[in-house]
Amino acid sequence: MGDCAVSAPTAPPPVRTDAAPPSQRAGRVGELRELAKTTPGVLVVFTVALVLVSILVGLFTAVTVQGRAKALDDLTARSGPLSIAAQDLYRSLSDADATANSAFLAGGLERAEVRTRYESDIAQAESALATAVAAREPADLADPRGPLAVLSRELSVYTGLVETARANNRQKLPVGAAYQRAASNLMREELLPAAERLYTDETAVLRADQDRAARLPVVEVVLGLITLVLLFFAQRYVRRRTRRRLNVGLLVATGAAVVSLAWVLVATIGVMANVNASQEHGSEQTDVLAQARIAALAARGDETMTLVARGSGKEFEEGYQDAIGQLAGDRGLLGRAQELASDGTVRDAVRAASAAQDDWHEVHQRIRQLDDDGVYLDAVDLAIDPGDTGAATKFDAVDNSLREAIVTTEARFEDEVGQASNALTGTVIGVIVLALVAAAGAATGIWQRLKEYR
Amino acid sequence: MKRTKVAALLAAVAMAAVGCTSADEVGDRREAPVGPPMPKGAAEVSDLPAPGTDKSCGEPTASLRPDGPPPPPGDFATNTAMQRIHARGKLIVGVDQNTYQFGYRDPSTGQLQGFDIDMAKEIAKAIFGDPEAIQFKVLTSAQRVPAVKNGDVDLVVETMTINCERREDVEFSSVYYLAGQRVLVKEKSGFDGIRSLAGKKVCAAKGSTSIARIVNVDTDPRPVGIGVDGWTDCLVMLQQNQVDAVSTDDTILAGLRAQDPFTEVVGEPLANEPYGMAMSKESPEFTRFVNAVLEQLRTSGRWTQIYNLWLRDLLETPASPPPATYRP
Repeated sequence: MGDCAVSAPTAPPPVRTDAAPPSQRAGRVGELRELAKTTPGVLVVFTVALVLVSILVGLFTAVTVQGRAKALDDLTARSGPLSIAAQDLYRSLSDADATANSAFLAGGLERAEVRTRYESDIAQAESALATAVAAREPADLADPRGPLAVLSRELSVYTGLVETARANNRQKLPVGAAYQRAASNLMREELLPAAERLYTDETAVLRADQDRAARLPVVEVVLGLITLVLLFFAQRYVRRRTRRRLNVGLLVATGAAVVSLAWVLVATIGVMANVNASQEHGSEQTDVLAQARIAALAARGDETMTLVARGSGKEFEEGYQDAIGQLAGDRGLLGRAQELASDGTVRDAVRAASAAQDDWHEVHQRIRQLDDDGVYLDAVDLAIDPGDTGAATKFDAVDNSLREAIVTTEARFEDEVGQASNALTGTVIGVIVLALVAAAGAATGIWQRLKEYR
Repeated sequence: MKRTKVAALLAAVAMAAVGCTSADEVGDRREAPVGPPMPKGAAEVSDLPAPGTDKSCGEPTASLRPDGPPPPPGDFATNTAMQRIHARGKLIVGVDQNTYQFGYRDPSTGQLQGFDIDMAKEIAKAIFGDPEAIQFKVLTSAQRVPAVKNGDVDLVVETMTINCERREDVEFSSVYYLAGQRVLVKEKSGFDGIRSLAGKKVCAAKGSTSIARIVNVDTDPRPVGIGVDGWTDCLVMLQQNQVDAVSTDDTILAGLRAQDPFTEVVGEPLANEPYGMAMSKESPEFTRFVNAVLEQLRTSGRWTQIYNLWLRDLLETPASPPPATYRP
């Protein structure tokens, strides 16, 4: 509706009354022109121009530097933590679903550890969701199909269904299984896609903030050069007219302008290097690692769901194969993470994750073999047994290795962004002070020459 | 609330009058759905032919006559289905894991159990001498006929009604249980049978005879059939107030009622539902063999034993096995 302007009734154009007679105006302009042709006139024009330009350039430069500092603040205070929250939310929801399903598969009373894991997943999801909601404007929540609205609305429905399933299971009623299926279905159809959208959105914002913080300092350089060019012409004029080689005031002004430009350049190049490093060694790797972790979770969820469906779980087995296809192999997420890895810890962790994933896949094939051969309960045992040889343990090894790698890349991200913020410390004030010095220097320098014409 | 709607409408009209597009903005404000979701696969079903109208096969329950008592386990002529199954080492049976006391998963052990499961185990026992030489495949109601036709399973034992439509695709054993379709509603709901549910939502499994019968009840308007994958999904929808009733075989309804004491079974039976085991039409010798085993269960008292174990308390009546009818 913003661009919809209803035109107001137009008032009659105001009648000009303050116009001076044409002849008088021409006379004044003529006088000024005459004055500008004299040396003192030119010097006054230079003074006014130099003072104005120095101050304006100082202000504009300070504003652009401030913009860059703001982008860095956003990275540390908003988009950085939010992309982590979104990733946490996605991960803990997937894990809650896989955990609830394997508790169901286990039959009887679930083990206390399994219940604790589910509860801490939900708690983590809720706190990540609160972080994400708090950072948004109320308008972002107004769209009922937006990811945050869906997540806030459906998470409690999901936990309600899981508790209903649990209560029925405790009475040995098969309707519990139907509630568990409904819960898992809600998770897969609504909650996880919303979490994925949120994660994609937040990662895009993070990238945009990084680009904003690391853009080339074109404006700053152009502004700095304008001051220097003007100072150059002023000095050449003064030298020609007064036959004095050096003018201390103008030299001080030039020095201040050069220092200001150099300061901004050095600081900006530092920031760019840090932000690019935060991308290359931090967020880019975190993104690939997080996607790998989520793909592993999806595969684990499908592995358990195949057994829950018992003989009619073909679509889940296909889901497992899809997720593993994304994860494994040189072209897969783990391969890409290995390729991007720029830190020994990350490289080792990714290697460990790949190895565990291979082991897990072997166990998975044994599970499928057992289930297809009709030894269903043995297949279930192998899938959920907490012992060393079970798929649960292998999957946990993949997940833990990836988490370790993510902790490292996130720390590197925070470190680089922190350094970038430090590089800009004092630059805004410095630029303004130097601009005032330049303006004062230019004014005094020319004023001394101007006095000689009195 | 009403006032804001009117205001929004006026605003929309006003903006339309000055040539502004604001339809999107008004559309975005629509209410979000609240409350629990429908179970996966739940959908409104209509336009199904009424079951039992096809009489092309004559008496649908007449099955192939057995050649005397079954041979001892393992002693089968070559080139018979029994011999092939014996060589494989296990009988593959399609069952349900959602029908309380017929075929369901014991939540405490993860094992499948129930009347249908025990019936299937009797067939495995007759082939191998071991009732556990069996592999279960869980099928939804709609998957039963395709699973038999594709050879994914040797046998389906899953509360399956015998009728001529299905006999075009699969062979049935003699009747091993006789049920009747009735209606399950919430207590004090005021509904007293299928005819009181005109225009109301009534749940049944997709691909079952029950759902076809629901949408063909000649009330005005007809009941709205809601098809789901498993029978317990119907109970979930009834408990979540997403349907008004569940209508299917009294046996299945009794199983649902046992899980929710705030429900009741009402009305006269809509129709008889004779259950048969389904198998391939390619091997008539297997059907004759299964019928011979069923004949033994009827006369030996084993049928009554299994009935008493699973269904007697549930249905609150004693019962005797339904007699078999045969064609040559």
